[in-house]
Amino acid sequence: MKDSAAVDQSNSSRRAAGVVFGLLLPILIVNIIAFVVPVLNLAAMSFRSATAIGSLDEALTLSTWQSLLGDTFYWSILWRTVWMGALITAVTLLLSYPLALFVSRRSGWVKTVLVVACISPLLISAVVRTYGWMVILGNQGFLPALIRASGFTPPRLINNEFGVLVGMTEILMPYMILSLLSGFGRLDPILDQAAETLGARPLTVLRRIVLPLSLPGILLGCLLCFVLAVSSFITPKMLAGGRVSLLATEIYDQAIVTLNWPLAACLSVFILFVFGAALLAYGQLSKIVD
Amino acid sequence: MYLKVESLEKRYGHLVPVSGLSFSLGQGELLGLLGPSGCGKTTTLRMISGLIHATSGKIIVGGHDVTHLPTYRRNMGVMFQSYALFPHMTIAENVAFGLEMRKLSKADIAQRVSSALSMVRLPALGNRKPLQLSGGQQQRVALARALVIEPDILLLDEPLSNLDAKLRDEMRNEIREIQQRLRMTTVFVTHDQTEAMAICDRIVVMNRGKLEQIGTPHEIYERPSTPMVADFVGRINRIRCRWRDDGAIAFGHTAIGAVSTGPAGSEVLVMVRPHRIELRSAGAKAGRAEGENTIPGTVRQVTYIGDSLQYAVESEGEKIMVEQATTSAGDTYKPGDAVTLNWRARDTLTFAAEADV
Repeated sequence: MKDSAAVDQSNSSRRAAGVVFGLLLPILIVNIIAFVVPVLNLAAMSFRSATAIGSLDEALTLSTWQSLLGDTFYWSILWRTVWMGALITAVTLLLSYPLALFVSRRSGWVKTVLVVACISPLLISAVVRTYGWMVILGNQGFLPALIRASGFTPPRLINNEFGVLVGMTEILMPYMILSLLSGFGRLDPILDQAAETLGARPLTVLRRIVLPLSLPGILLGCLLCFVLAVSSFITPKMLAGGRVSLLATEIYDQAIVTLNWPLAACLSVFILFVFGAALLAYGQLSKIVD
Repeated sequence: MYLKVESLEKRYGHLVPVSGLSFSLGQGELLGLLGPSGCGKTTTLRMISGLIHATSGKIIVGGHDVTHLPTYRRNMGVMFQSYALFPHMTIAENVAFGLEMRKLSKADIAQRVSSALSMVRLPALGNRKPLQLSGGQQQRVALARALVIEPDILLLDEPLSNLDAKLRDEMRNEIREIQQRLRMTTVFVTHDQTEAMAICDRIVVMNRGKLEQIGTPHEIYERPSTPMVADFVGRINRIRCRWRDDGAIAFGHTAIGAVSTGPAGSEVLVMVRPHRIELRSAGAKAGRAEGENTIPGTVRQVTYIGDSLQYAVESEGEKIMVEQATTSAGDTYKPGDAVTLNWRARDTLTFAAEADV
């Protein structure tokens, strides 16, 4: 009796595992075709070299990697990319957090309207939004004109890191707000009230209760925004005016303008390491938070 | 009086969850706020704690008007229905939180936290997280956290409603015991009349945002001032009759005697608790005591619920519920039996019919 029950159980658990595998199979196939193979292809390409007319040389070589790793220019791009990514993420977080907190404390249709308002910018293409920023921040744009009208000389607001920062922050805020909202699950307003009855002032409540409990959402939002900031190239390309080189824009230039595909592939693999590092950091930090 | 609430009112537009509420309690007293859900008892508690601002009225603690003080300056220990323990802190950190806000020294905090945890009989669990504890244990932590700050007033918001029945009785007595030991002035919100009767010194019965009656559990139960109170604090029969000109109440062919009287001919609402009525066989020659009501009736339905028997008796076209304690003798009446209903005149509660809602 006991044995047959055990056999039944192992049979049914095997069947359950089969069902799980069957359900995962479609996404597995899509992922292999659309992600794993291209990435491997890219990695393989990075060991080739380009001829003068842009075609690939058949011979395998380490020369592209050597020139990449030995060139301080690329290291400085890497550094600037990580620094800009971190800065954009931090500013996005600072601007999104109060908004997300406010929205999460509403209820009913007010909350629905606010959530939709927060994510509605996603309905407009990033390219269009970036053009909007060019109109606002450009030398003959709205903001400089305003500054001039009030009797000051406007600083350069575009074609530099500041322009990239402003544009990217606005573009990433919906993602950050969504992540924060999803991470606010443990934040029950009754906990704030309990802290208040114990003598905590509003700022102390924020520091001791609200912030620690929303860390999972903060981490998730930061990971998402950092990765998106590092990998985006349209907005930096348009707002930097070629004066701020980042890894993503450099890859675009090498692949489309210079037609040096091996170098572009090298940089792409390079950027994957940055993402890997970010994921690792996220994993470690979320373990600490839990 | 230590805590005084004076004509307290809360308005949200047209909604008035609490209005014209006044009561007071002395140092060390345990006052219950009792009422059905939506009667404004929790809103009242939250106004006392400062979590909701009163629209008008006053809250005075120890002679100081605290009506406009923010919550964090009121020094009130609140125990929430959901306990509201901080999930990211250990038990000891939860209990220490209020002391840290009061900027006590580390050594002092550690010592007070451990004595507070001993008081609620959880001395060994300081390093656990709240979610690792059972409901009863979480509740004790919430109590320790509220008491460790030595609050001026302890406010309990339905503290027992998330516990199972057995644990509830145990915790109820424990809360009462600690409250009396510390002589802690306490306001206790509940919708459970047994709970309120069991531990409160006095009870405020609320209905639709207003005070119905304030008094000791005995007064509330024996001399309810409105039909709502009589109904809410225990099962009760309600019969609509008219006063006769001899001071008795006309009930079909017979009469019901009460302690009070009313103007002849006016309508009256008669209420009698089922367990105050005794059933006797119709023919029995039991001597009718002075001031006792004897009404003939017929048993229609019998329900056995273990510790008591519930009879539905028809009398003069009315259905009257009677409850008797069961005995091992098993001498019970059956449907169809002719009986008399007997109860003392002082157990007849009478209300003006228009007070009925």
